[in-house]
Amino acid sequence: MSMHSRTWYGGIAAVGASVLIAGLTACGGPTSTDAGSVKGLPSTVKIMSIKEMSGAVAFAGTNATKGIDLAVEQINQQKFLGDSKLEIDLKDSAASAQQAASLATQAISDKSYAAILGPASSAQATAISPIAQKSGLPVVYTQAGSDGVLVGNYTYRVTAPAESYYQLAGQYLKSKHVKTAAVLFNSGNPTLTQLGQKTVPALADKYGFKVRSSDGVQVTAQDFTSNASKIAQAKPDAVFLLLTGPQDPVAVTQLRQDGYRGEIVGMTSMGAGNLKTAGKTAAGVVWPSNFSALDTNESTKKFVEAYKAKYGEVPNNYAAEAYDAAWFLARGIKEAGSASRTEIQKGLAKVAASGFEGAQGAMTFDGTDVRVTGVLAGWDGTNETLVPLGSS
Amino acid sequence: MAQDVINAATLGSLYLLFALGMSLAWGTIGILNFAHGSIFMFSAFVCHLIVREAALPMPVAVLIGLVVGAVISVLVQVLAFEPIQRRAADHRRAELQILVGGIGMAGVLLAIAQRVTKSVPFGFSESTFRVHVYDLGFVRLSNVQIVIVVAACLLAGLAGWWLRSSRSGLALRAIGVDPEVATMMGVDRRKLAVAIMAASGGLAGVAGVLLTYYLGSIAAESGDAFLLKAFAAIVLGGVGSVGGAAVGAAILAVVETIVLVQTSGTWVDAVSFGLIFLMLLVRPRGIFGRKEVRRT
Repeated sequence: MSMHSRTWYGGIAAVGASVLIAGLTACGGPTSTDAGSVKGLPSTVKIMSIKEMSGAVAFAGTNATKGIDLAVEQINQQKFLGDSKLEIDLKDSAASAQQAASLATQAISDKSYAAILGPASSAQATAISPIAQKSGLPVVYTQAGSDGVLVGNYTYRVTAPAESYYQLAGQYLKSKHVKTAAVLFNSGNPTLTQLGQKTVPALADKYGFKVRSSDGVQVTAQDFTSNASKIAQAKPDAVFLLLTGPQDPVAVTQLRQDGYRGEIVGMTSMGAGNLKTAGKTAAGVVWPSNFSALDTNESTKKFVEAYKAKYGEVPNNYAAEAYDAAWFLARGIKEAGSASRTEIQKGLAKVAASGFEGAQGAMTFDGTDVRVTGVLAGWDGTNETLVPLGSS
Repeated sequence: MAQDVINAATLGSLYLLFALGMSLAWGTIGILNFAHGSIFMFSAFVCHLIVREAALPMPVAVLIGLVVGAVISVLVQVLAFEPIQRRAADHRRAELQILVGGIGMAGVLLAIAQRVTKSVPFGFSESTFRVHVYDLGFVRLSNVQIVIVVAACLLAGLAGWWLRSSRSGLALRAIGVDPEVATMMGVDRRKLAVAIMAASGGLAGVAGVLLTYYLGSIAAESGDAFLLKAFAAIVLGGVGSVGGAAVGAAILAVVETIVLVQTSGTWVDAVSFGLIFLMLLVRPRGIFGRKEVRRT
């Protein structure tokens, strides 16, 4: 999922200023007194975690932080890095691209930071990536699905792009003998727009259904009555709702109230409790996801059990991805055998080349971008479920 | 076609419910309250917290929204806007500072709701009220849609009557025309400003609760999106006119519905706001706006 800040113009200004600062700081590079240039690992490897702890996407930041905290606790308890401890310095970006860029610049200047765990919002990530890449500071993102986030070998992402596992929706619809579909997508969000305009039509060709209508809604749209009526009157076999978390329950409810009884397919924004307010009205909605707490993978099960034991709740995809990001970074540091930013980047590249098992199951990388098998998640009216492909 | 008319009427009523309180405060005491969206959201949010603990019927939830909205709005007036008006060097500066003050107050309410809800949508699923959809063959209509349209018409009529026919309403209109002369004529500006802010906030609260029932859920940020639409409806209809706000909301809703039905939907804001812009070029005061007379 890609999230946008309304202050994009401010973000551009911040990026401009930050690039200038980064250019100046990058000239020096790591010095001999840096923790990063010491042979072997220092007693503490410090990571800056830039997350949305407040603001419109706080649900992503707070859940991601829980995943990171669990991973760091395990890493340190297991002495995964020997006597060296991983230390996370959590910073709130407040869903602001300027704030995120400012924090990244601070991390670049302060050589005690070995790497960054990046924010979920594409707007913030695209503000950080150019300066981090130029300054040689590794950044591992979760979410942040738009173009411009992965700009080189120092920028990694451990949330697979939705289009890479979205074929699960096609397989599901084929098993339901779906012949026609309608698409409703948030036209202000690049990831959702790409899914609506490219991925779904490609699925239609591959799995033998026709896209009858494809409509965009505004990024801040609150009411979908007209869209729902239009779709319900056309009676397609399936509807793709590619919207943001707060829009999902409203659109699903209004579609059902307008008498639509066909399949509803969404994306990961349907998870994380966002369908709870729709309750039983949303029963039967499915969405391909990179993670499900009900997945039967051994590595997923271990993560879910540990998470439940620590927090007393079921983890969502934001927590799982951030957990994997922290473990990916720890593996890279171990592989590097050093807290040097350059060595960590090389370590991350080695880990990415071999892949690893994480909360999201088996993870491989296409360049610096992760790939997972994915699962088909669903809502039964009360809880999230795992939907077996071909089930009725 | 009939369904589109019903949908446009519902959307227009949603906009009107939201815009009504904002229009009252702006058109009478000259306060453009940018915290209106957050008061709308926060009233629904407080109601959600109460309904979560005790299943309440819709009328009680609406009453809670009204009280919460009125209390917050009065607090905003007394704690933020009044001190600004007292200290500002002139009227123009006071207006600008009130705009900024409103944004600041909105930020506080928004941050609290975001913190508690973690930006996950919230609603009244525990309420005793249940949505029923009536299929009349040619249209589908829900009981919430009926409540929304009736409430918007009733409240707009009530607000219009109050301003036109009641003694306090006439005093408020006098303030809107010339605050100094109104004061010289014995109008208690402070008392009436608090009263109009209470009414404005109460309307925001009622709108917040009704809209949450209609949409099923809202998020902490929902007020911001409605703020822009309400602003457009008020400017289009003419600041200070309840009828103008109603007509502005109706035009906005009709245009949006037509664009949604006839196009892919991406152009909704561009077309509807473009039309408003064109109309304001022809009639800058809005459809029912008063002609401003300045005496030197």
